Amino acid sequence: MVLHLKIIAVVAVVACFSFTAEAVMQWAPAPAKHGHGGHDRHAAKKFELIDGEGASVQLINPQLKAIEIPVEQGVVKVKSTGMDNYHAIVATRERNGVNESAIRYIYQFGKPSGESPSVIMGLEKSKLEIEPSPYAREHWRYYGNTDAVFVLRFDGKPLANSTVFLKTENGTTEKFLTDMDGKITVPLPDDFSNVKPGRMGNRASEFVLSANYSDGEISHVTTFSSAYHANPEHWQSTGLGVAVMAGGMFLGGLVSWRTRRRKEK
Amino acid sequence: MPIWKNLSVIRKVVQLLAFLFLVYGSVFVGFYSADKLSGAFPALACAYDAKTADYCVLIPLQHQFGHRVGTALAAGAFAFSTILPVLTTLLTFFILFVVLNKAFCGWLCPLGFFQEVLGMIGQKLRLNRTESLDPNLVERIRPVKWLMLAFLVVLFPLASGLGFVGHELGDPFCKICPSRILTSLAAGQLNQLYIDTSSTGYMILSIIADTLFGLVLVLSLTVRQPFCRICPMLAMHAMFRKVGLVKLVKNYTSRCDKCGLCAKACPMDIKEIHTSQEKDILFPDCTLCGRCVEFCPDKGVMALKYVTIPIKVSDPQYFKARNKAQKAWEGKNRGSSKRVKA
Repeated sequence: MVLHLKIIAVVAVVACFSFTAEAVMQWAPAPAKHGHGGHDRHAAKKFELIDGEGASVQLINPQLKAIEIPVEQGVVKVKSTGMDNYHAIVATRERNGVNESAIRYIYQFGKPSGESPSVIMGLEKSKLEIEPSPYAREHWRYYGNTDAVFVLRFDGKPLANSTVFLKTENGTTEKFLTDMDGKITVPLPDDFSNVKPGRMGNRASEFVLSANYSDGEISHVTTFSSAYHANPEHWQSTGLGVAVMAGGMFLGGLVSWRTRRRKEK
Repeated sequence: MPIWKNLSVIRKVVQLLAFLFLVYGSVFVGFYSADKLSGAFPALACAYDAKTADYCVLIPLQHQFGHRVGTALAAGAFAFSTILPVLTTLLTFFILFVVLNKAFCGWLCPLGFFQEVLGMIGQKLRLNRTESLDPNLVERIRPVKWLMLAFLVVLFPLASGLGFVGHELGDPFCKICPSRILTSLAAGQLNQLYIDTSSTGYMILSIIADTLFGLVLVLSLTVRQPFCRICPMLAMHAMFRKVGLVKLVKNYTSRCDKCGLCAKACPMDIKEIHTSQEKDILFPDCTLCGRCVEFCPDKGVMALKYVTIPIKVSDPQYFKARNKAQKAWEGKNRGSSKRVKA
């Protein structure tokens, strides 16, 4: 009887993945109440734990020290730890024989941690986990129409031939199969509508990767979420850039030729 | 002359290694370690290059003037903490500078190396090179680097933070910097060679950037170090040059008046190293490449020193061998032994 219930739970989770990612526990930025929230880099950041009822949440700093943070009405407030670099917010829950986790990485400003972000990315934060490989660091972001690489791990080891689902806030859904090294290359979709010229005019969107795996009697579900942005190629033309550079080269040739003519005279 | 004794060859090897480290550094130190290095070793690599291990000091300076100092002044909330990041950036730059002095430009800068390599290609292609620019033109060009530093690195970002000019001018030097395009292209990215159509300001800046890059590409074939002459890093180095540990010294003799080979060898056309009777000849435009010392034919007249330790001292034997090696490189074995070509 218990086994039947667990099978039903696993089937329900798989069904959820197939049609909607909203039903899976995942992180998203909490909606801002007023404007864009200012420029204070040390101000607390708020994140919403979607479908995360009953989950416990930890904030892990770059030196891997974990602290419990409370969830209030589905929202967590992440205050500055005084430490620089990437932190992880990890929500975990066990429900109906299914272990669930939701992971998101956030950048915090403060004193140098002295640790490479690879330490926190590589840390086993849940049995089943999607590790960005690498995460879009500092000046880099996830952009539509670019590839992002991830590794699906179980028990800290790469999980081959498993399905990872992608769902974006803009409505794209896709699925990918991990290779022998547990790796997937996700072509982030260029699915932004009404792209305005310029980086400032376009709001970031969210994507969620999710995976599930059954380890005998226990099922595991995990999500990784992050922001992604409209690709600047919408308002930046490389073709025109090459043409203008060629113009500069022509100008350089003209200057050199005139200098030579003057010398010859 | 054995190549390991040729200072120019040694310098090229150092430049090549620095180029590989600064442009592809994350391949060596790891993707994330590159960020840590950027905070500790400000040099002329670029944040726009996805593989870089290091950031140019001008990037944080522009952002700190724009986003911190400018916005704090606009809000009337200026305090010591506002200027602290700028001071920290300058301090890290200063530490590196004290150790290397202006040798950074002549020995480490990726863009400087790239221009020198193009110059070597120009020599091999037997292009009609302008070995020395007209002294009047050199005089006219010299203030540009100070204007670049003042306006593009400090004043425009500050004015942007204060809200007097648009966001486009928040980091205007990066927007027009040829090193941004060069290092990103070297890392296999085409995404920095673009025309930005999002606003008139961005479009003008991107047109200037791409034109300047094209100009540098072609001019470097026939003119020595064209961009170095207007680079704001040269101006920043010039401000602190008296405190650096690497020194360029001259023991003036009356023979210097008749010679002038040092000035001809100088890729920055600093004629003052020939005419000066001062001991310290580290002029604002100097990149400490050491060519003047190499091509000085008199014993002990010119020297490159680390504090008081001589690194390279002028020597007639070395001069003869070096001149011969230069001619062999250029494939020109005819003419006077005292002719100097770059």
